[in-house]
Amino acid sequence: MALPSIALPGTLLGPATKYLPGPGTHIHNAQIYASIAGPVVSSPSRPPPPSSKPAPTPKTNAKSKALPLLSISQPNPTNDTAAGILGVGGGSGATILPEVESTVLARITRLGARFATAEILVVNDIVCASTFQAMIRREDIRATEKDKVTIADSFRVGDLVRGVVISLGDQSNYYLTTAQNELGVVMATSEEGNTMFPVSWKEFIDGRTGRREGRKVAKPF
Amino acid sequence: MAAASDRRRINAPSSGTSAPVFARTVKEPGYLQSLRPARTRRPNELRKTFLQTGIVPSASGSAYLEIPTTSTPNSKSTLIPPTSSLKITASIQGPKPLPRSAPFSPSLLLTTTVKFAPFATRHRRGYIRDAAERDLGVHLETALRGVIIGERWPKSGVEVVITVLEGDEDGWWGDAGQESASGMNGGGWALLNVLAGCITVASAAIVDAGIDVVDVVSGGVAAIVRDPTARNETERKVRILDPSPAEHQEIVAACVVGYLASRDEITEIWMKGDVGADSDGLIEGATYAAVGSVGVLKDVLLEAVEAKFKNQAATTSKEGTKRKQQDVKMTG
Repeated sequence: MALPSIALPGTLLGPATKYLPGPGTHIHNAQIYASIAGPVVSSPSRPPPPSSKPAPTPKTNAKSKALPLLSISQPNPTNDTAAGILGVGGGSGATILPEVESTVLARITRLGARFATAEILVVNDIVCASTFQAMIRREDIRATEKDKVTIADSFRVGDLVRGVVISLGDQSNYYLTTAQNELGVVMATSEEGNTMFPVSWKEFIDGRTGRREGRKVAKPF
Repeated sequence: MAAASDRRRINAPSSGTSAPVFARTVKEPGYLQSLRPARTRRPNELRKTFLQTGIVPSASGSAYLEIPTTSTPNSKSTLIPPTSSLKITASIQGPKPLPRSAPFSPSLLLTTTVKFAPFATRHRRGYIRDAAERDLGVHLETALRGVIIGERWPKSGVEVVITVLEGDEDGWWGDAGQESASGMNGGGWALLNVLAGCITVASAAIVDAGIDVVDVVSGGVAAIVRDPTARNETERKVRILDPSPAEHQEIVAACVVGYLASRDEITEIWMKGDVGADSDGLIEGATYAAVGSVGVLKDVLLEAVEAKFKNQAATTSKEGTKRKQQDVKMTG
């Protein structure tokens, strides 16, 4: 059966024995159906099948290697020229939620003794329409010497932090970690309000005054 | 009355405003009846539907539905339209993070709000939602809950906000004065039509918002009406699809369904009146009406998706320049 080029919710895409369900699809009676409207994309699945499939099929890994992954692509949410009679932004749709293991950019909003609070601004390179509350616990700030970490020497309010979501958390907060070399503060301003530059894994320097401030610094790419 | 307790807004007269009564309707008793609209469609023919998605720029998804009136005035001498049309807008807010006070939810929390505009019906509505509007909201929520795949959106909520700009009427305006004489069986038939419209337009808005659903749900209404021209008693009750209450002197029973056409499932059903033995026939009729509206729905959505993705492909190359052109400079 040929795949339709554009699917609407409820459109039959193919049997679950021949394809893997990707984002924007669901399984009903061993058949894959579309669940959002958009163009159908069939991509050969990568050797390790993605673990974050919405509805994993009960089949062996060896078998699923050969199956193509069916997904419905969403319109790019940052592109506000999407359709609608108003031209720009008319129902551009496609909001994104942080998931476990997604890389996010967050701004520190509050410091506590045991954790820092942040708001997630960007998820997987896509700017969110609204921010999400997040929390970085003291033990998740760095991988080594966890007991010697202090919040005040790692973050300041207003810092931009690259982190990874480790849990959807409780009712209000997503839990983030910065316990990798590539994760941590990427942009910071000094107490005087000047932009600072990273000088080591734990320090930023104010270019104008030359003063050093402690941070959990993200390794520059 | 809800409006009476609303002290924060300027309220309409609590008794409503009445249209002028023309001398001719009083002098000639037959004249008023000659204005009565009659159904010109076949029993299984639906009214025409207009649907458009993406009408509210700030919402993540939105749609507008209009079912225009089909009856033309029998006489050129009156300005009062014989029947009203149905005009509904829907907008989707979210999925967005839950408020701080809300407990953890592993799936999408759905909130539906149905509000009649104060000018939507011949009797002016209040600004605060009344019982009928809350009831419609609950019915709509039931219809939508069955189609949304909520597990895809943990810790988030979505709001479906429906505004009825013009609602169907419970009966013909000429009957309004003699309600007790004609023995109206309850009234409120228009709510069924409004609910069917709400389901269809909300479904379009949800697909526009890109929220995962198992199928496109659509609403449909069927009714059993008494045909005054029929000869014997058995022929008098007729099943019709998509009734316009003003066109019928007496509606015996009516039913609205929220129907998933490709799965053959019903998510919402609301039956009203004296159905008799053939309730299945009435429900079946309502599903036929829903299949009729899903045809419109799918065409509109397909058109919107094609436009959305064509536009996106065209603008990725010259996005910067195009956006600048669309900025409007305010002067003066």
